[in-house]
Amino acid sequence: MSGFVRGNFAFMGKVALLAIVTAILALLTEHAFVQKEYAIGSFLLFAILALNFTYLTKFSIPLKFFVPGILFFIAFVIAPIIFTLSMSTYHYQTGNILGKVEATEQVVTLGAEPDANGTTFDINVGETPSGDFAILVSDIANNKFFISTKDARTEVPASSVTLDENGVATAAPGFTLISAETLSKSDDYSRIHYKYQDKFYIGIEGQNVGAVFQQSLTYDKAAGVIKNVVTGDTYKDNGRGNWAKVGAPDEMLTPGWRAPIWFENYTKLVSDEKVRTPLIKVFIWTVVFAGMSVLTTFALGLLLAMALNRKIRGRRIYRSILILPYAMPSVMSILIWAGMFDTEFGAINNLLHTHIAWFTDANFARGAVLLVNLWLGFPYFYLICSGSLQAIPTELQEAAAIDGANPRQIFRKITLPLLLQILSPLLIASFAFNFNNFNLIYLLTGGGPRETLDGQIAGATDILISYTYQIAFGNNTQDFGLASAISVLIFVLVASISLYGLKKSKVMETFG
Amino acid sequence: MNNWVRENLWRHVLAIAVCLFSLFPLYLVVLSSLSTNGSLHLTSFVPTEFSLKNFRFLFNSPKIPFMHWVQNSLVIASTVAICSVVIGAASAFAFSRLKFKGKKFGIQLLLLVQMFPAILALSAVYVIMERVYRFAPQIGLGSQAGLVLVYLGGSMGVNIWLLKGFVDSIPAELDEAAKIDGASAVQTYWLIFVPLAAPVLAVVSLLSFIGTFNEFILARLFLVEMDGRTVAVGLQQFIGGQYSQNWGPFAAGSILASIPIVVIFLSLQKYIVNGLTAGSVKG
Repeated sequence: MSGFVRGNFAFMGKVALLAIVTAILALLTEHAFVQKEYAIGSFLLFAILALNFTYLTKFSIPLKFFVPGILFFIAFVIAPIIFTLSMSTYHYQTGNILGKVEATEQVVTLGAEPDANGTTFDINVGETPSGDFAILVSDIANNKFFISTKDARTEVPASSVTLDENGVATAAPGFTLISAETLSKSDDYSRIHYKYQDKFYIGIEGQNVGAVFQQSLTYDKAAGVIKNVVTGDTYKDNGRGNWAKVGAPDEMLTPGWRAPIWFENYTKLVSDEKVRTPLIKVFIWTVVFAGMSVLTTFALGLLLAMALNRKIRGRRIYRSILILPYAMPSVMSILIWAGMFDTEFGAINNLLHTHIAWFTDANFARGAVLLVNLWLGFPYFYLICSGSLQAIPTELQEAAAIDGANPRQIFRKITLPLLLQILSPLLIASFAFNFNNFNLIYLLTGGGPRETLDGQIAGATDILISYTYQIAFGNNTQDFGLASAISVLIFVLVASISLYGLKKSKVMETFG
Repeated sequence: MNNWVRENLWRHVLAIAVCLFSLFPLYLVVLSSLSTNGSLHLTSFVPTEFSLKNFRFLFNSPKIPFMHWVQNSLVIASTVAICSVVIGAASAFAFSRLKFKGKKFGIQLLLLVQMFPAILALSAVYVIMERVYRFAPQIGLGSQAGLVLVYLGGSMGVNIWLLKGFVDSIPAELDEAAKIDGASAVQTYWLIFVPLAAPVLAVVSLLSFIGTFNEFILARLFLVEMDGRTVAVGLQQFIGGQYSQNWGPFAAGSILASIPIVVIFLSLQKYIVNGLTAGSVKG
């Protein structure tokens, strides 16, 4: 009986939770489709179906355990990876962020020129009886008034309008004023071209000001070209995300859109010297940095582990102090070190009685990066080596000692090779970690100094990942396409390194 | 005596030297937080002043909503810590204990993807969340809820992998006995496995807490508003921005923000060291 009751409760709880989650997701799905985010909307729909199907049927027991994890995994791991791959084949950078339809719309909207006299009118925004946006225009100089909508202009006799203290018409038959408060909710009304005369229209310049414009650019959808009716120029889709002038392909209209350019971002890495030169230098430093970091942290960690591998007095205290750098939140420690390397006020120059500008000289900056990483990383290898040293059977060392080997020989010929064999997967993992040690570089030097590399995006201490970040989010042109291509390159490198490490650790063979 | 010197002296010399290296920045931060001169400047190894001015500044200055930052960090990190374990444990249990088609493929995929550094997909996550913002600002770019979702999703691979390792180490006899007694997989999970694995789950969630607390760049990209930042982002902006050379309050803030993490870390030392040998590297 009690089992029955509990089962029932659990069932009701499950259904209630499922209902709430479904409701939230359904709401989001609807919003997504309304905003034309079809990919995200479809995923949300899929999530709803997957959740309900899994928990309301007995189709698969394991799936009941997996579904939430899988959904998160798809949304925030798989999807970004696929998205990165796809972005890397696009011309996708500042000025080419929008979709083609949006970009073309903006180009056309921007393609208007004021009439020769720069005529402006006092206006009020309202609506017609049929509910269309309309403006009531007051041509005060000529004492003329008219109502204008997208399609029509209706003259209103001066006798039938109501004027405010400035002589601006606020009410007229067939026109209902819309309050400023209502207007502020949406700017739809301000994008409408209100009828004026001939090719000219009135565009909204401010809440109560309209100006006369002539549409210069028109989009000919059928021919797929944009024409400038004033100058007679034609602009064609250049296949790379911009409308370019026929006969002068360098003259492009802005904004452009994100357009597929296939492997151009990848070929650029090799063929474009502005990209290739810094990339190679950054790559070399990345490998040197990761290699040196592993080497120094491992060496110091091992040395300490060997020194403290014997029950000497104070070992516990030493140990607690030695792991402190590892226990500290690394973001804080890195920022603290950044302050210590300050030229004027930093403790390092102070202690050394020097006046070195650490972060403006490439070599000093690189040295500082390695020193800080040594501080951050040696406790890791100290802890690991301590554990591993105890795991190495002592028989071998004893046998060697009996054979007359001195401690140095024992270490070089027996202990170290054994340790390296045990720890090689961890050394490789550490290399892979440092290969992408973004926080250290970004927070300590910001990748600088930049002068010695290309002076703009890449700096002397930039590693691939921080260089990629600068390309995508830096102060210059933000190039998501190129950044994604480099990300893919990094992933291939890191995955190969990691897979090699896993093969060594034989993890791959243990499951099945 | 001579023998002792030869055997042990170098050990002490080395240990003390490296201990000084370890302690130097930390000691300096404590000194700076108590001094009034506002830089990480070493005036003397012995504290010459003892002022709580920097700490008072942190709590009272309208320019730096330090308490908001701490609160944000705690809320975000605990939400991620709890949810990631609730979601991850179920998957880890299934991977470890249940038999199903495609299990091997699933584990291999998990292994491969958990190696993918989340930071590589940074621009993709950014663009995706920017689009989410257009139809649901509450969970899109710039919102803490959105950041939590990204953290949860991004840590899913690593967490399931880590949890699976722990689950594998819990003996399976009990759940096999339950199975023989007729318990379903879901019952075994809730009635046998979860109580048994509770300490392990707590440890993993605390590790996840530390990791999230320490995360910088996503938080930096996501949380633009002053009041909405996490401690890490807030303090970094505080010294990097217009208040540069404001090291005193920064030192005080970083001490306060670090204490909980250091305490958690030291109390979990044993588990973390075990986890280390399993191949995880703390960021």
